Amino acid sequence: MRKVLIANRGEIAVRVARTCRALGIATVAVYSEADVTARHVFAADEALPIGPAEASRSYLDIDAIVAAARRSGADAIHPGYGFLSQNGDFAEAVATAGLIFVGPPAAVHRSMGDKSAARRLMASAGVPVLPGYDGADQGDEVLASEAARIGWPVMIKPSRGGGGKGMRVVARPEDFASALAASRREARGAFGDDAMVLERFVSRPRHVEVQVLADAAGNVLHLFERECSIQRRHQKVVEETPSPALTDDQRRRLCVAGVAAARAAAYVNAGTVEFLLDADGSFHFLEMNTRLQVEHPVTEAVTGLDIVRLQLEIAAGRALPLVQEDVVARGHALECRLYAEDPDNDDLPSPGRVLHLVAPEGPGVRFDSGIAVGSEVTAHYDPLLAKVVTWGSDRAEAAARMRRALEDTVLLGVTTNRERLREIVGHPAFLRGELHTGFLDEHFATDPGPRSLPPEALGAALAALSLEPVSRSRPSESNVDPWSTVGPWRLA
Amino acid sequence: MTRLSAGDHEYVALVQAHADGRTRVMVDGTAFDLEVARLSPGSFAWRRSDERTDVLHCVREGRIVHLSWRGATYKIEEREEGASTHARAAHGGLEAPMPGTVIAVRVVVGQRVEKGAEVLVVEAMKMENALRAPREGVVKAIFVKEGDSVAPGVVLVELD
Repeated sequence: MRKVLIANRGEIAVRVARTCRALGIATVAVYSEADVTARHVFAADEALPIGPAEASRSYLDIDAIVAAARRSGADAIHPGYGFLSQNGDFAEAVATAGLIFVGPPAAVHRSMGDKSAARRLMASAGVPVLPGYDGADQGDEVLASEAARIGWPVMIKPSRGGGGKGMRVVARPEDFASALAASRREARGAFGDDAMVLERFVSRPRHVEVQVLADAAGNVLHLFERECSIQRRHQKVVEETPSPALTDDQRRRLCVAGVAAARAAAYVNAGTVEFLLDADGSFHFLEMNTRLQVEHPVTEAVTGLDIVRLQLEIAAGRALPLVQEDVVARGHALECRLYAEDPDNDDLPSPGRVLHLVAPEGPGVRFDSGIAVGSEVTAHYDPLLAKVVTWGSDRAEAAARMRRALEDTVLLGVTTNRERLREIVGHPAFLRGELHTGFLDEHFATDPGPRSLPPEALGAALAALSLEPVSRSRPSESNVDPWSTVGPWRLA
Repeated sequence: MTRLSAGDHEYVALVQAHADGRTRVMVDGTAFDLEVARLSPGSFAWRRSDERTDVLHCVREGRIVHLSWRGATYKIEEREEGASTHARAAHGGLEAPMPGTVIAVRVVVGQRVEKGAEVLVVEAMKMENALRAPREGVVKAIFVKEGDSVAPGVVLVELD
């Protein structure tokens, strides 16, 4: 493997390029028309355009990406996360083109992308699954009677879904028929398939997941678990490892189940097995993510391993360079996702231009970002801007470092959730480890209102701006004498 | 004088002058003598009178000033100039907003001046500041000469 094309953008493309450079592997970036000057373009050794701003015609265009790989002479493609990373057709097209796909083969993506098939496979391998229905008979009457058998409330999930679309919780039998019809409509629109899986609804669950690694020779090991219970709209916001909810014995059983799931899936490369953890300590298979996870850096922080490097080695056909006993987790790590969105305004995305950026530094701090001063944050793509990761010898130290790092992170020009993240990691319930997937709705439902700015600090800001050379202003203002805008003289 | 708003609060502010490495800023009638130094584009050190120090990050984007201070981010919006300023523009004079000394008179009575032309130079807080014509016009009267001390609000020059 000499040259890797990175079929992604943003922070993950930058992060993958860094490991490649450290390994002496050349990198190729791809970019849409909206990303001509994006940071990831310059993180690679060369860069090729793949189409217009719309993701469906650029970062999701299989033919354009495979053609770019051929044109650049790349011998492998790393898909990152999101976009085509879990697309079986993409993995197949890459392999057909004679290139290495850094991830599992197409068949694994397809079987794990089908929730009913994945559930059946896991159950047969002895991995705990929630009481539910994953049968082929999808008649409305059949589903209604299965729902009654499972018990209320019941969760309806599209078999080929993701991202929370088409998912519904039904508490009463009389609401089932209309909820099923609505879920089917949404699933047909979003995924082109309206088969449903039913599962017992777990109230206030925790989200835990096991990082697995598997090589082509069938060696499988785990890199322990992560907890990702702090979510909004089924999107993770804060992640950590180890999970504060697990005893050593529960952790051992969870990780064994993760490895069993990977074996059952005939998994190759790095993957993640997601579980729901109930208040009584029981856990059940949720789904398998057949790619690198956004939150992989927390695992890297406690294990000292570079997961992207291991992905590349596995993809190159080498055996795993370590055995389970070599994997030791030390201390505690947290990750906060810095999003271009406004927590005081229903988490609405907030596009804009990055005018100023200061990354946090210091002991136990890692900052993975896909932006730079001047970056345009557009509505075309995911609003994730950067990830702040902190490590500490224990959870309290990791949290204290995270609060400090978030305070030191400065991003002007784009509204972000930075202050909300700092409030989360400083919240008493968070510090006690009392997490569940409804945490944000429970503790952050009300808008705290605008923060007041002391007059002296406003004065300091105006004094500061009067020191800036006029050329920093926008062109339309550059001829305006600063004295006449906030100047010393009142002109009559 | 600039009207600004941050969050749900409105302020009236005026950056008056730089002297001794300090900047005098009036905010809602209170004067602050602030020691602020530029560290790099957008980043500033603020030394408080009691030796405490702060770092500020601020950037202007059109009428919006983005500020990050002590871990919090603020958007400060510059409003239109205050109504009182417009009233004085009709009056046709040029006034001193704070105490100072006239060190140069650049025009003579009867002279036609373009908008933005330098009319007077006044020293205040050890800084020389040019007063410019707010519009095109003819100098009708000059009420001061070099060396005069001037008080705030005093009309210095009248334009036709």
